[in-house]
Amino acid sequence: MAGITAERISVIYGKRRVLREVSLEVAAGKTLVLFGPSGAGKSVLLRAIAGLEPNTQGLVRIAGADVSALGPERRGVGVAFQNFALYPHFSAFDNIASPLRAQGVVAGEIGRRVEKIAALLKIGHVLNQFPRELSNGQRQRTALARALVGEPKALLLDDPLRNVDAKLRYEMRLELPRLLRGFGAAVIYVTQDFREAMALGDEVAILAGGELLQLGTPETIYATPNNVAVARLFGDPPMNLLAVETETRGGETVAAIAGFRFRFVASAEAAGKALLGIRPDALALVPAGTRGAAPMTILADTPLHDRHVLLVRAKDGNELVVSSRVPATSDEVWVKPDVALLFAQASGLHMATAVQERAMA
Amino acid sequence: MTLQLASVCKTYRRFGKPPVAAVKLLDLEVADGETMALLGSSGCGKTSSLRMIAGFEAVTSGAIKLKARRIDTLPPARRGVAMAFETYALYPPLTIAENIGFALAADRSARGSAASRVRQIADLLEITPILERRPAGLSGGEQQRASLARALIRNVDLHLLDEPMSQLEPQLRAVLRGRVKSLLRERGYTAVFVTHDQTEANALADRIAVMEGGVLQQCGTAEELRERPSNTFVATFFGEPPMNLLPAIAEPAVARLTGAPEIALPLAVPLALAEGQAIEIGIRPHRIQLGNFPLRGIVLSNQWLGDEAHIAVEFAGRTIVAVSPVRIAVRAGDAIGLGIDPASLHVFDRMSGCALAHGGMRA
Amino acid sequence: MVRPDLLKLVLRGLALAAVVIFFLFPIFWILLMSFQTNTQILRLPPRLFFAPTLANYTALISGTLHTASGTLQITFLRNLGNSFLLSTCSVIVSLTLGVPAAYAFARFRFRLGENIAFTLLSFRFAPPLLVLLPLSLDFQQIGLSNTYVGLIWVYQLICLPLILWIVRGYFEDSSPDIEHAYRVDGHSWWRAFSRIAVPLARPGIAAAGLLAFIFAWNNFVFALILASADKQPVTVGALAFVTAAGIQYGQIAAAIVLSILPTLILALYAQRWLVEGLSLGAVKG
Repeated sequence: MAGITAERISVIYGKRRVLREVSLEVAAGKTLVLFGPSGAGKSVLLRAIAGLEPNTQGLVRIAGADVSALGPERRGVGVAFQNFALYPHFSAFDNIASPLRAQGVVAGEIGRRVEKIAALLKIGHVLNQFPRELSNGQRQRTALARALVGEPKALLLDDPLRNVDAKLRYEMRLELPRLLRGFGAAVIYVTQDFREAMALGDEVAILAGGELLQLGTPETIYATPNNVAVARLFGDPPMNLLAVETETRGGETVAAIAGFRFRFVASAEAAGKALLGIRPDALALVPAGTRGAAPMTILADTPLHDRHVLLVRAKDGNELVVSSRVPATSDEVWVKPDVALLFAQASGLHMATAVQERAMA
Repeated sequence: MTLQLASVCKTYRRFGKPPVAAVKLLDLEVADGETMALLGSSGCGKTSSLRMIAGFEAVTSGAIKLKARRIDTLPPARRGVAMAFETYALYPPLTIAENIGFALAADRSARGSAASRVRQIADLLEITPILERRPAGLSGGEQQRASLARALIRNVDLHLLDEPMSQLEPQLRAVLRGRVKSLLRERGYTAVFVTHDQTEANALADRIAVMEGGVLQQCGTAEELRERPSNTFVATFFGEPPMNLLPAIAEPAVARLTGAPEIALPLAVPLALAEGQAIEIGIRPHRIQLGNFPLRGIVLSNQWLGDEAHIAVEFAGRTIVAVSPVRIAVRAGDAIGLGIDPASLHVFDRMSGCALAHGGMRA
Repeated sequence: MVRPDLLKLVLRGLALAAVVIFFLFPIFWILLMSFQTNTQILRLPPRLFFAPTLANYTALISGTLHTASGTLQITFLRNLGNSFLLSTCSVIVSLTLGVPAAYAFARFRFRLGENIAFTLLSFRFAPPLLVLLPLSLDFQQIGLSNTYVGLIWVYQLICLPLILWIVRGYFEDSSPDIEHAYRVDGHSWWRAFSRIAVPLARPGIAAAGLLAFIFAWNNFVFALILASADKQPVTVGALAFVTAAGIQYGQIAAAIVLSILPTLILALYAQRWLVEGLSLGAVKG
């Protein structure tokens, strides 16, 4: 039985349609990541499910029960907000105890449960302090503890790691999945960070402009994005997109650009003008003259963690971003792609994928 | 050498409050045509340093020289620097094109070429569509690019950039970083920029100065900071995932792990350490090999991030992270073997945090 | 860099001194007058140094004034009591009505919401004389003329817009997420209002209440027309010193000093909150 079901949720402010008929389902114990650029409507969707959005149309089910007409206090959800939303005039203990007090739990039991969850989130030693005395990391954990302590069936986390520094964000990224698994709730996690989405999501829903563009496992969306928008959004550095002229002959659609030639399964919609997409990590530096590779000039090498993100220019003037494990040894290099995607120009839909043999590392 | 900071200090004195030492004895040199990043968390003193170089903050003690000329006593307008502000500070009544070309308009000799230069830099930063609009109503990313364009268009001795690309739309980040780096190199600009984002520092800078608590921790290339960090702060600050640190006790030629005394990691170089000295062993996640090795740990999580796998392992009582370039089929609870090469170990003194050895070389 | 700091400091000091003298001089002069007899006050040229007397204050407090043309009964202390009563009750009523209203305006978007808010705020700017004549006739008909209830009701025209203006600004500036979090925890909207929104808006409410008190205290025209002698506050009561025997400047001065003392003390005590509360209401985030 699904933990959270959202059916055709729309939110309209006056004339503006902020969410357009978004439907999704999250099973209990699973995490769905809601991914998209700012302004896509992710927070709005979360609030609609929590019952905090007055202009919502559509159906919301939590643990099978229809809660669409209920106020937020009766829906049995736990929410962690981006800016923590802790009660400044309550101590950390009272903040966390709030859902239990609303449920009418007895004082002794409240103490026990609050201390248990605080120990789990490693904030047991600051329970007496007030939010203004806590560090950002401690505030974030307090907000999480408050969301979890009532053991809700549905957990809605709105980019909780956004306002936390990089090191702590990395630590939480490692810890969160383990933590959440122990609770068995259905979780919806909002983020704009691609790696967070990959790390935390059993499934990912891509939201842009108020519409659900694709729903699937992170690997599926990464390898086979539905359309250009999804392809550009999901991936860091983003996919290279080049305008191409294709030729169709003999059951194949052929695209030649930047010195590469790709052969796709024939596609009528991609005839003539189309868009070719190559992910930066699908491009590799190879020895000169390798079959299937093309010569390019390096414009800049911007290292990223342990990789080198190279901005290169092909002989036909097109700019490409290459994500290479090895640094370039000179300004003139040869680059070989291994996977390319073909998108229709007009609709932006993904038409076909071409795979070439991986270059020998 | 273009820019030199000699023992620069900055102390903020506010009436009725204790003085705050924001920058302590900063010594920094930026070579001609070099791009230097000031990297650190908020409150570390990097922005104060930049503002002192620009002239918006007075230097409490010490000297700042630009091309051998002392500038810390001059007002900002006479220093010959261009600055891109964290808050953009675009002139509201002017269009973006006029904003960018503002400094050029004052210089009569550049009049003719001003328009084409504005166009050129706008194309580079992809803001050509908004050239005729005014700052109000533009997104943060667009305003930031306009502010950056305004600074980069000028041909001055020193460019100062305060968090220049922090608001950039993630879609454009990779390409624009490359283009800006290319521009800085092409024109031979000397630039200093402030950031809290190490991926930005890594991407754009030739050398990085890591600051914390007003003190310069280490200044070097990204590779030096990664391979030879001078203390545990730099070691764990720089790099994602950060370097793993394990407490240990020094013994001749080996380090005995405190969390698992039966494990003794061989050290690559004999160190003149007192027997029993408290040390920390550092190993970078990318240097841990996974597979059939004698050292065993328990997998806590395995996350595939599209191009590499981050695997958290419980080892010697601590959680360490290993990075694998390919997917590995392990799950939480599985046992896994860790391959640790003595040449990849870093040794730090536990009390002071200072580095003692990196792999086979003394620090 | 030269030393423009010293010059700036001196100029700034001079400017500040000029402003302070300009605003505080009348109050200072009245203070002086309150310790002088009528003859001393009217003497030309005015003298800064004189032999002070407490006769004015004793007259006010004891309730009798001996003048050249006879003894006068003064009801000043009763007026002072009326002022306290009217101001305090008005503020309590306007807070009870205004704070929930401000919350509603800040948090909920309903049809004509902005129009209603603006109408209520506009009462602040409407000249009292506009409504005074019809109001006095109506009051006489309903029987509210010369009653405390009637006066408190009319004082809402002064207090309520102020409360709405400032407190709404305060609610608008605070993040609704905190109240949302409380609702999601399982509490009703009333508890979210009373346990979270109101406590967190305490500074704004206090500042608004303080200001409303001061404005109600200072009001003259409503009390003048709609109340008679035994219900009048100090603002009107001061008129009693314009007697047939001549204007008793000394007593007026003493009365003024005593009547501004409560609000002055309040304002000084809460000045930080007042500035904060005022600016929050005026400047939108």
